[in-house]
Amino acid sequence: MPIAEHLKPSLIELLLAAADDKLMLGHRNSDWTGLGPILEEDIAFSSLAQDEIAHAQTLYEFLSPIAAKDENELAFGRTAEEYRCATIVEPHDEFDWAAAITRQFFCDHFDRLRFRRLAQSNHKPLADLAKRIGAEEQVHVDHADSWMRRLGRGTTEAKERAQKALDQLAPLTATLFEPVDGEPALEKDGIYPALEQPMIELWRREVDAVLKDAGLSAAFTDVDPTKKGGRRGIHSKAFSELLDEMCEVYRIEPGAKW
Amino acid sequence: MPSRNSILADLETIDDPEMPISIVDLGLIERVEILPHSSNGEADRADVEIDILPTFVGCPALDMIRDLVRKKLTARDDVNEVKVNFLFDPPWSVDRITESGRERLKEHGVTVPDHGSRLPVHDAPKLTTQVHTSAVPCPFCESRSTYLDSPFGPTRCRMIYYCEACRNSFEHMKRI
Repeated sequence: MPIAEHLKPSLIELLLAAADDKLMLGHRNSDWTGLGPILEEDIAFSSLAQDEIAHAQTLYEFLSPIAAKDENELAFGRTAEEYRCATIVEPHDEFDWAAAITRQFFCDHFDRLRFRRLAQSNHKPLADLAKRIGAEEQVHVDHADSWMRRLGRGTTEAKERAQKALDQLAPLTATLFEPVDGEPALEKDGIYPALEQPMIELWRREVDAVLKDAGLSAAFTDVDPTKKGGRRGIHSKAFSELLDEMCEVYRIEPGAKW
Repeated sequence: MPSRNSILADLETIDDPEMPISIVDLGLIERVEILPHSSNGEADRADVEIDILPTFVGCPALDMIRDLVRKKLTARDDVNEVKVNFLFDPPWSVDRITESGRERLKEHGVTVPDHGSRLPVHDAPKLTTQVHTSAVPCPFCESRSTYLDSPFGPTRCRMIYYCEACRNSFEHMKRI
């Protein structure tokens, strides 16, 4: 089904949120290249970075004709207020392994559900793409789950540090679930159809089951309201710093061909 | 007019930039369409349209594959324009890799999941991230005493396994 003209602005918001989450997370993952605690995880985080950034790039390409903007301009040519990523993908993990794994764990489970929803879209090109991304997310989820278990069942220090990361990051997960403008219309129209149960309930059940198995827990208290608003373009200081670093080359000569 | 077989024969000479087999053996080619190019009276020349299925979303080799395909085919006297489309439907899968492709990958120490096999069922590992899955035979010694060492590998489509019998690492294609 072609996308109705009046729904296009909301669809752009929705897919920018997905792509921006992945672009930022991928960039944060790439910080670990060369610094992973073991060789396998150096490869894993570099590979995760490649996956996330490739997914973001493909989503920007998909949006390009709808938004009438070049994909590079979408990725790097916007002002901070025009990004739609959730606050949880913004802060640096300060090379705390438990924090990196915990954020990945929360975001991977969210993305698997988000792309399961998009895979049921009545807009076939979007559903086809989402099915493929969703299948790749499964590998990410398995990786994150096995690490939560490893940390939770590991040494006292590993468990304490994992629990500390969970305590810090759990409230921020609320920012993943903030809706973009026009999301109810996309849901009603079948472009972003609802799942069998509210997404947040499915997500909590999934992550709680893994955490229980790992001997860990998360308290999903609501986040400080000043940290909300990523989906509407309100971002943290860490985000502006990351954006400046990421766009440094692009801004020297926007539109340059390589 | 070029024949479909002669176009495929040309495509078979193009190796995937990240795998030691051709893009045909890797199962990337979904459709080859030969369209008569008659607008300027050159009845013997044709336009060619090719649908390619990416292995992974946004695979970094895609632009290179498109360029290699266009360069190879436009060098022919009987081909005018070449159009390459990337599609996600049907989805690419390891089951599309041909028998000769599987053989050649094995020679390079890369194994491919069996036809129609399911996603590996990952146990909950206790103190390690090593995930034991349904046995993947070692490409070097055929032993099934192997385990998944890392679900990520040198490219996005490969994982790293370790063989406890001959103590070699090998790569296994991801089924997604």
